[in-house]
Amino acid sequence: MEFDFSSLFAFILFGVTIGVVYGIVALGISLIYSGLDIVHFAHGELYMFGAFFGLVFTQTMGFPYPVALVLAMLCAGVLGMGIERVFYRRLTKSGGGYTVAGMGMIICGFGMSIVLMNVAFLIWGAAAEPFPVDLGMPYQFGDIALPKSYALTAVVAVCLMIILHYFLKKTKAGLAVRAVAANKDIASLMGINVPRIISLIFGLACGLGGAAGVLIGPMQSVQVEMGYLMLLKAFAAAVVGGFGSLPGAIVGGIIVGIAENLGAAYISASHKDIYAFLLLILVLMFKPSGLFGVVARVKA
Amino acid sequence: MLKVSGLTTGYGKIQILQGVDLNVSEGQIVALLGGNGTGKTTLLKALSGLLPVWDGAIEFDGQPIQNLPPHTIVRAGLTQVTQGKDAYPAMTVEENLMLGAYTRNNKPAIANDLERVYTFFPRLLERRTQLSATLSGGEVQMLVIGRGLMASPKLLMLDEPSSALAPKVVMDIFSTINRIRKFGLSILMVEQNVRMALLLADYGYIIRDGVILLEGEARDLISDPNVKASFLGGTVVDTTRDIKA
Repeated sequence: MEFDFSSLFAFILFGVTIGVVYGIVALGISLIYSGLDIVHFAHGELYMFGAFFGLVFTQTMGFPYPVALVLAMLCAGVLGMGIERVFYRRLTKSGGGYTVAGMGMIICGFGMSIVLMNVAFLIWGAAAEPFPVDLGMPYQFGDIALPKSYALTAVVAVCLMIILHYFLKKTKAGLAVRAVAANKDIASLMGINVPRIISLIFGLACGLGGAAGVLIGPMQSVQVEMGYLMLLKAFAAAVVGGFGSLPGAIVGGIIVGIAENLGAAYISASHKDIYAFLLLILVLMFKPSGLFGVVARVKA
Repeated sequence: MLKVSGLTTGYGKIQILQGVDLNVSEGQIVALLGGNGTGKTTLLKALSGLLPVWDGAIEFDGQPIQNLPPHTIVRAGLTQVTQGKDAYPAMTVEENLMLGAYTRNNKPAIANDLERVYTFFPRLLERRTQLSATLSGGEVQMLVIGRGLMASPKLLMLDEPSSALAPKVVMDIFSTINRIRKFGLSILMVEQNVRMALLLADYGYIIRDGVILLEGEARDLISDPNVKASFLGGTVVDTTRDIKA
């Protein structure tokens, strides 16, 4: 039997589109990690809330999809900032991620994840909700039909990354974010209001997570338990790319997306979710710092 | 301008400063001298808000500033320059300098100050797009001083500008500090290089075990037999002309 290159290409293409979404969730996890020195384990729930916000804005309020995307991002961002202000702030004050309080923050993340899931359950119920978005006929590339939602997802995700990159490199607030991520004491000596910047980092990261939810929504259905699998895959993406590295998060996401699709196509489709973690284990065995990570990054 | 009275502070439960009194007047260079572990850097941290003040008062420009958050103190015009290792290594020289001007919004004035920093330290202009991780020890020291100047402070606090640098570089940096003072800036300088610091400063304090042991006009301190015996070791060579040239 002849090898079918066009379906291989299709699997890779689908892998990349889903991968960039893992990438933007991973980007949020990496941002929070670089700002607060913790892995935010409730990040998957912000993604889930983003998807529900998107659903409410399109279905209940009748906004067009792009507007709903922006609104859902804002809402997820504000929700994230609220969570940071009420719960994480007091823990940051007592020392941050590399202290005993850091352990508390990680556990707080797990607790927050359960709380958010139950809040969503109370509001929207346990049933999976479809998120129909009519974008028209798929694009045709030769034999491959790429649904417009996939193309849109990839384009939006790439735009978000470019905007984030521009923000971090070219704006004053972006410079402050990088300064806070590298060294909080020195940042405060520059006149930067460090708690406010941490709040901004949290808002940005959760906004990205929310955007991912709205992007994935039309491909899958929306339900309260969708967050944890996304969290784990984004976490795998962040580790593969190198924890704390922003370009690494994106590349890691794409690699995880491709691995998952190729694994599902050529090995076994019923074990689709395993391949991301297989990759995670391999990376941890052979290159623990990830592709772009710095070995044992020291932070003050 | 800066008035510290009865300041006590420390880390956790360990008290470091046992009641320090210190004054800096407008346009003055004041040197705070002492060996390792005597509380010099601790005092600067308390002044800039990084450490909580346990007791005592800090008055800057007529306002009490003890226990304000660091970013508020910077906005009041009191800027601490930490040691060279505290430049942001993953940022370019110019990004580091612009961070110094974070609290300011007047773009022409910032551009003006940036140019001034580059005239003080032409090496930084050559390396403005380089990551500061690639700079030499002397260059990062210049960078952090330049970054402090970018805040347009009324009082600049320097934490051991000469530490771990070659004598030639130390000379360069001290002569630049001397040029900076002509712009009407007050400077509080922490130093271990007692002789150099006293040659540059107007007034000096000597600290040991968290208390001020001795204070006086810099030229009196330099000829003080106690200071000579414990810090200067041997004869004092007059290098004033080299620095103040």
